[in-house]
Amino acid sequence: MDKKTVTTISYLSRLKIDNDKEEKIINDLGNIIEFVDQLNEVDTTEITPLTNPLEKTAKTRKDIVTAKNLKKELLEVAPSANEDYFLVPRVVE
Amino acid sequence: MISHKEISNKEVIQEVFSLINEYKDLNAFITLNEENSIKKAEELDNNPSDLPLAGIPIAQKDLFCTEGLRTTCGSNILNNFIPPYSATVIENLENAGCISVGKTNMDEFAMGSSNETSFFGNVKNPWGKDLVPGGSSGGAASAVAAGLVPAATGTDTGGSIRQPASLCGITGIKPTYGRVSRWGMIAFASSLDQAGPMARTAEDCAFLLNEMCSHDEKDTTSLDNDIPDFEENLNSSLKEKKIGIVKDLDLSSLNNDVVETYQNSLKEFESMGAQLIDISLPNISLSVPTYYVVAPAECSSNLSRFDGVKFGMRSEDAKDLEELYVKTRSEGFGDEVKRRILIGSYVLSAGYYDAYYKKAQQVRRLIKNDFDNAFKTIDVIMTPTTRGPAFKIGSKGDDPIQMYLEDLFTISANLAGLPAMSLPNGNIENKPIGLQIIGNFLDESTILNFAHMFQNETNWHMYTPEGIKQ
Amino acid sequence: MSWETVIGLEIHVQLSTKSKLFSGGSTEFGAESNTHVDLIDMGLPGVLPVANKEAFYKAIRFGLATGANINQTSSFDRKNYFYPDLPKGYQITQMTQPIVEKGSIKIAVDDYEKEINITRAHLEEDAGKSIHDMFEGETGVDLNRAGTPLLEIVSEPEISSAKEAVAYFKAIRQLVTFLDICDGNMAQGSMRCDVNVSIKKSDDKELGTRAELKNINSFKFIEKAINFEIDRQIRLIENGECVVQETRLYDSEKNETRSMRSKEEANDYRYFPCPDLLPVIISDKELKEIKENLPELPEEKEIRYINEIGLDESEAKIISSSKTMANMFEAASSKTDDAKLVAKWLVGDISALLNKDNIDIDESNLSAENFGILIERISDGTISGKIAKSVLEEVWETASDVDEIIQSKGLVQIQDESILEDIAKKVIESNPNQVSAYKAGKDKLFGFFVGQIMKETQGKANPKAVNEILKDLLQ
Repeated sequence: MDKKTVTTISYLSRLKIDNDKEEKIINDLGNIIEFVDQLNEVDTTEITPLTNPLEKTAKTRKDIVTAKNLKKELLEVAPSANEDYFLVPRVVE
Repeated sequence: MISHKEISNKEVIQEVFSLINEYKDLNAFITLNEENSIKKAEELDNNPSDLPLAGIPIAQKDLFCTEGLRTTCGSNILNNFIPPYSATVIENLENAGCISVGKTNMDEFAMGSSNETSFFGNVKNPWGKDLVPGGSSGGAASAVAAGLVPAATGTDTGGSIRQPASLCGITGIKPTYGRVSRWGMIAFASSLDQAGPMARTAEDCAFLLNEMCSHDEKDTTSLDNDIPDFEENLNSSLKEKKIGIVKDLDLSSLNNDVVETYQNSLKEFESMGAQLIDISLPNISLSVPTYYVVAPAECSSNLSRFDGVKFGMRSEDAKDLEELYVKTRSEGFGDEVKRRILIGSYVLSAGYYDAYYKKAQQVRRLIKNDFDNAFKTIDVIMTPTTRGPAFKIGSKGDDPIQMYLEDLFTISANLAGLPAMSLPNGNIENKPIGLQIIGNFLDESTILNFAHMFQNETNWHMYTPEGIKQ
Repeated sequence: MSWETVIGLEIHVQLSTKSKLFSGGSTEFGAESNTHVDLIDMGLPGVLPVANKEAFYKAIRFGLATGANINQTSSFDRKNYFYPDLPKGYQITQMTQPIVEKGSIKIAVDDYEKEINITRAHLEEDAGKSIHDMFEGETGVDLNRAGTPLLEIVSEPEISSAKEAVAYFKAIRQLVTFLDICDGNMAQGSMRCDVNVSIKKSDDKELGTRAELKNINSFKFIEKAINFEIDRQIRLIENGECVVQETRLYDSEKNETRSMRSKEEANDYRYFPCPDLLPVIISDKELKEIKENLPELPEEKEIRYINEIGLDESEAKIISSSKTMANMFEAASSKTDDAKLVAKWLVGDISALLNKDNIDIDESNLSAENFGILIERISDGTISGKIAKSVLEEVWETASDVDEIIQSKGLVQIQDESILEDIAKKVIESNPNQVSAYKAGKDKLFGFFVGQIMKETQGKANPKAVNEILKDLLQ
């Protein structure tokens, strides 16, 4: 775990790390990764990953429209919106 | 559950709020729901109902969305968030007659074991104002232990119901993954999160669990299996029942009182006719590292929706979109949450996925297989819930790994999706401590049965902190 | 030296389900902004996705029609990135277990046919729309489209020219419309495509570095964008520079592609299995049902038209190539017993009118019903083909009923021989010179007499009858 890696993952996570905290964070993350590295001692060849404790298959929906028009409610909870759209600073393509 | 035929529902609710007010330095609540609660109580007084939990005051963890009532998840980023809908758990409990008196304090996004990561300040443990209540459901545990409410909801991703229950001297159960709908529960780690009740006794937990469980088509991980009446088996005999004792757990690192307390409880069960059987869970020691790959990976993705665009807080004066994202998330999230998002992004990123995420999910299967084998020969597994009683606020410093090891005994049940609970089984230097009972898949009834029988024979669950009126 | 072009297409097809892939939100196009946004589409804290089974069924139809493998167990993964119209900060897609794998489709280019292999077709959710040019200094976000089911169809890099790319896109469009899984409406963005282009020397083994052209949604632009990109890459390499792997945006006004490096910056999507969604299983029974109810495809129609209805190959090809054309043909044929006549008119006059107005037949005023009646009236001799033309033109303009037009304009053909004979006699009497000339052997004057009679009857005379009568009278 080094400065460069932390810069990359904080960019991916859209998080800014204050300079005064940077050293500690690099250090913490390093320790945590070192701590989880003990997993590599286990032989897991041929073992299928378990991504959910329920080894079942999903229930699915019928193709029916159930949603109501929530425009007003949803735009209300938005930090910035006009009467029609959620608003963000201009994105240049 | 406390019965109060002689006094009106309104009086009960008013009493609850005066207690909450009296003990507000516990900081157990983030948001109160006083007006509505009193209105509901009055309605109940005017037209009495025979609903199973009619008029029962309940404290809801601030991780459940409550329509029209602020829901913060203990985070600055949701400081002003008022959901347009309610979680299934909330609806189930309110439809059963419960009155939601408020939203309890918690570690930010349920990431923590001491309640010190809450944006709204740490919760105090009624057993000592300098002690942590545990976490992440610390506000809930503190409120029940202090007798402010008879019941509370919690959520448990790695021990967040059981560990605070243990540290506050109350009873709490994490059901089988999929028993309780996750619709409206703000996700931390989707494949581990499960909601459950926290109360004084196993019996109360059974009452609450009966109402919390449901088949929910809004959650595809909600199980279709029959939901039993969890009260039915509470008093079944424990004769010939088999308790698994995990050889692989090294208790030598724990202080003697914890070990002694644990062993006394086992003797208690033996005296009720249960048998102790050594079992092996060879991979259990890998639970914590497995968890600290899987949970951060899932949370790093689950928390991406908090970007300041559609809901929640948005940083002021961001001059472009990129800055809007970064400032909002950096100001909105606390250090522990950031730490876990970063770890999650790391273990999922190109080149590390196989070495960490995939590896951890493979080990997770090994851990589950261990449990499956063990439960072929036993009914329940018992361990201490925590390595010790409540520790002092700030005493774990800011060494994340020390804090992570708090969940040593509890995490494996989440990885395997098994039901598990904690109940008070002793007192060390006037601080409560808990016993963990892990059950087989869908077998909440059996662990509640063990817990209830224990509480018939002992009174650890009746101990209350000094200066707390009951 | 000669360059070879290597092209692969990723076509995003909006599946025509009523509701979204993971919510009960409506997929209707063109609704008022943010009115079709469910709590789930909004990505609110605590919401959970539930998959729409119909989207799987539609995807499977495509798989079966392209002879692909159907993965009866398929699962969902998360693709993580931040963008304002991506509400959850990740897109739910199928990375590891796509519903469809390894199919192929035949394309026809000018004088040759070619088989293009399809690597995979997977389900994923569409994003919302960002509106950049509407507000001063701000971008507006409309989430109506967020969560609409997409089938992303990924071809092998086996396409070797812009023309082939267009032919491939057209073949896919024809297929999905016949399968009734997508309306194929390019203008509304029901089909969009990303194009991967690279070039290599003919004798090179491995592929060159590719550039990805994003979001092109018209046949014209696919061709132009690719050709521009090929030239650009050749120029680069021949100037000793090299092609960078990047995403490029096609600017249809300037007809050029330009780099979108902004999007490239350290992109790492961190795919992982979506923990909210368990794998979806398609039972053998479901699969069997879909197979049995698979709609008839163009080639099958063509063959049936030729063998069972007896159309010429050329007619059969034209009619079966477009869903709307085929629908019209089948509907109209059911209203008359002269299907071949229906075909003649479709590929003849009607196609001409369609080309003139540059519209699709289902956008025209001609209903199958009305068209059927028109054919009926021709075959039962009520009107002549010549009259029918003018009736068709009137219907084309006014959409009014064929029989009404015939009645109101009194276009009914004159069959009555006695009437025609009188007219014929009049014509003969009033043209003695022509008669003697004809009798002297000027056979082509016969047409003159027919013409005169038609003139007298405003074209309503039954030509067959006129011929016979004239023959008698002029002996």
